[in-house]
Amino acid sequence: MEPRIGVYVCHCGSNIAGTVECAEVSKYAQSLPGVKVARDYKFMCSDPGQEMIKKDIREMGLNRVVVASCSPTMHEPTFRRACQDAGLNPYFFEMANIREHCSWVTEDHKDATEKAKALVSAAAYRVYYHQPLEKREVEINPNTLIVGGGIAGIQAALKIADSGHKVFLVEREPSIGGHMAQLDKTFPTLDCSACILTPKMTLVGSHPNITLLTYSEVEQVGGYVGNFHVKVRKKARYIDWNKCTGCGRCTEICPTKVPNLFEEKLGERRAVYKHFAQAVPNRVVIDAETCRHIQGLKQGKDLCRLCQKGIEKKGIVGCETGAIDFNQKDEIVELEVGAIIVATGFNLFDASRIYQYGYGRYDNVLTSLEFERMINSAGPTGGHVKLKNGNEPEAIALIHCVGSRDEKYHAYCSRVCCMYSMKFAHLLKEHTHAAVYEFYIDIRSFGKGYEEFYNRMLNEGTVFIRGKPAEITDVAEKPEEKGKLVVQFEDTLAGKQRRIPVDMVILGCGLEPQVDTNDVGRMFNISRSADGFFLEKHPKLDPVATMTDGIFIAGCCQSPKDIPDTVAQASAAAAEALSLIDRGKVEVEAATAVIDAKLCSGCRLCESVCPYTAITFDTAKKVCQVNAALCKGCGACVGGCTADAISLNHYTNEQILAQMEGALA
Amino acid sequence: MNTFIDEVKATPGGENVLACIQCGMCSGSCPMANQMEYAPRQLIAMIRADLKDEVLSSNSMWYCLSCYLCTARCPKGVKPTDLAHALESLATQQGYRTRGNNNPEMYRAFVGSIKSNGRVHEFGMMMKYYLSTNPFAALKVAAVGLQMFIHSRLPLKATKVKNRGDIPAIIKKFKEVRSK
Repeated sequence: MEPRIGVYVCHCGSNIAGTVECAEVSKYAQSLPGVKVARDYKFMCSDPGQEMIKKDIREMGLNRVVVASCSPTMHEPTFRRACQDAGLNPYFFEMANIREHCSWVTEDHKDATEKAKALVSAAAYRVYYHQPLEKREVEINPNTLIVGGGIAGIQAALKIADSGHKVFLVEREPSIGGHMAQLDKTFPTLDCSACILTPKMTLVGSHPNITLLTYSEVEQVGGYVGNFHVKVRKKARYIDWNKCTGCGRCTEICPTKVPNLFEEKLGERRAVYKHFAQAVPNRVVIDAETCRHIQGLKQGKDLCRLCQKGIEKKGIVGCETGAIDFNQKDEIVELEVGAIIVATGFNLFDASRIYQYGYGRYDNVLTSLEFERMINSAGPTGGHVKLKNGNEPEAIALIHCVGSRDEKYHAYCSRVCCMYSMKFAHLLKEHTHAAVYEFYIDIRSFGKGYEEFYNRMLNEGTVFIRGKPAEITDVAEKPEEKGKLVVQFEDTLAGKQRRIPVDMVILGCGLEPQVDTNDVGRMFNISRSADGFFLEKHPKLDPVATMTDGIFIAGCCQSPKDIPDTVAQASAAAAEALSLIDRGKVEVEAATAVIDAKLCSGCRLCESVCPYTAITFDTAKKVCQVNAALCKGCGACVGGCTADAISLNHYTNEQILAQMEGALA
Repeated sequence: MNTFIDEVKATPGGENVLACIQCGMCSGSCPMANQMEYAPRQLIAMIRADLKDEVLSSNSMWYCLSCYLCTARCPKGVKPTDLAHALESLATQQGYRTRGNNNPEMYRAFVGSIKSNGRVHEFGMMMKYYLSTNPFAALKVAAVGLQMFIHSRLPLKATKVKNRGDIPAIIKKFKEVRSK
């Protein structure tokens, strides 16, 4: 059947037509081999645009279609569907991207038009050789993997588990809870964070549909939407969690004290420890890095083991359930899931990067998370606001936008610092008699009940000063500044440079991407936006999906957000995962590799390079075969084959060479 | 050019004036803020309010010490130090005077000395400066000048560089580049 090609050039309003001469491109397309009709139209993706294609297929007997418009990730499915509706195999369609590749990248009309012509020509030459292909359907595994056990992961896990589907929840720390477990009260309602979080944690711990893998990290992700294979490393905890009752006796005996990271190093924990009092699961772990016995074993010495043996002289017995097991090793757990939700959270900005604020140099300059632990009645000071010397502060400065809204650190607004700083002001008024100064640039109280909270703080007597402090110093210029921390700033509303002596400074540190975001992104194939956070598929209309089908994101790994937004997004991610799982089947690309058995030498190189284990070796015929259900059409085997025996459907040599020829025509 | 903002933006150093979020980091850091009529942040607000006469006849930019603390700390990359020099340049070019401020005369004497000698001749430069401002003020520094003269640090005759004829070409090129 002789190819009869139709070419359609889209204006995309003025997005393309503003730079590319669409009529000229369409006129040029008419001269290309096999092209029977070429048209340009304002919006090809609109109903009338699609109708135009369908009509031409029916009336002019077109059997190939090229649309020159936006990116295939945007509208390839739309136009393939239009072809299919008109009775044409959707793989007889080819797209030329003249928006992202032409009009959006230059203002030069001539250059843009020339390039558009070349791309249209390439597409027309290519489509000439297209073959009809059939899409295949594969079953979707109904299980979901959730990575990250903060409030986002917890919420998503509960939603999915409650619907009757199985969830694997992987958390790096020994307990779920995330940053929310560290917070004291939550704005603007001032609910106690633990009081609203721990019931959810307990539900996760006891839910029959949730398999909790704490103190574990995902190591490898393979497969594709509906059929992911995941390897999880369960780190050795040196405790048999089936025997441990979480009584905590061992944590009292252990003689090794180390800074407690959960308490932001304001307190200490032992080498054997429980993450925090309400930990779920309620179990202890031994920190191998600091445990005397485990470190001793490396040098062949049998040290300590007091947690196991107890201290005989004092009549203290060790672990009574015999749960301590120094021989435990890391374990690899393999999971099969259909959908993945990544909810890996955030990292707090490192305030020592801003030298002039003195964090790390002055004793009483704290980060926001440190203060959360200090003000918490379960925290290291029992909820007492104390200076390093034990005294109660008389004046306290709260500084907003530390590391946020600053080109040198993070250009974005972290969205929570205004509100949590005002919450601190309230807690300080409640717990101390100190004067509280709040230094802000703009108060961003955008959420439900937030502006009301701001009004309440104004009336409670917190002094709001508009101005970003220039520096914190201990150099006194006046007698009343002696022994104090002095905040120097411009009161921008009064137009005066001023200095206020205080005893304590709390830095409203911003939120930034986790340190290992790059590795995690690569593992799950999620891109990052300019700010470093994970990139959603569409900022407005697809906020929890990613460019990888079947992988969703929720919470602060996507952008800084408060608890209400995190919970809403996590629920949305759960809905997306469920909507996928409940479809039962998913269509996969027909563009798969095929091996020509006549040419295959049986060297098995393709088998070793295939990332989807889609290639198997037929021992009887001594040739390799592709399992089309597993093949993702990545093309690795095609490049690897030394005998040129493998070709990729829809990306054949013939098609690609024609495309190049067209581009250069 | 329609507004003062456009004028400032078109002057080298004034390009980023619209990026300011008025946080006050510059004024809070400025060691001279208390001497200035308008501290840096306020000056930027006034530029954006189109208050050209008030800005260009103020003493603010002339008090800038070029310590660059504001520029180092500004969260939006406004570069207030460069902005101050841009304002000095605009004020001088357009004949704005600030009471008690002789900096333009100092700059002219300095550049004049370089134009004719290819390097600074301190004695000639200071003579020119005091003659164009207040000749009696020279008495205040006479003692220092005398000491420098005794130690051969203040030659009366200017030493000139080789190829002095190239200097006008260099200045011409600079003006060309700057006007782009």
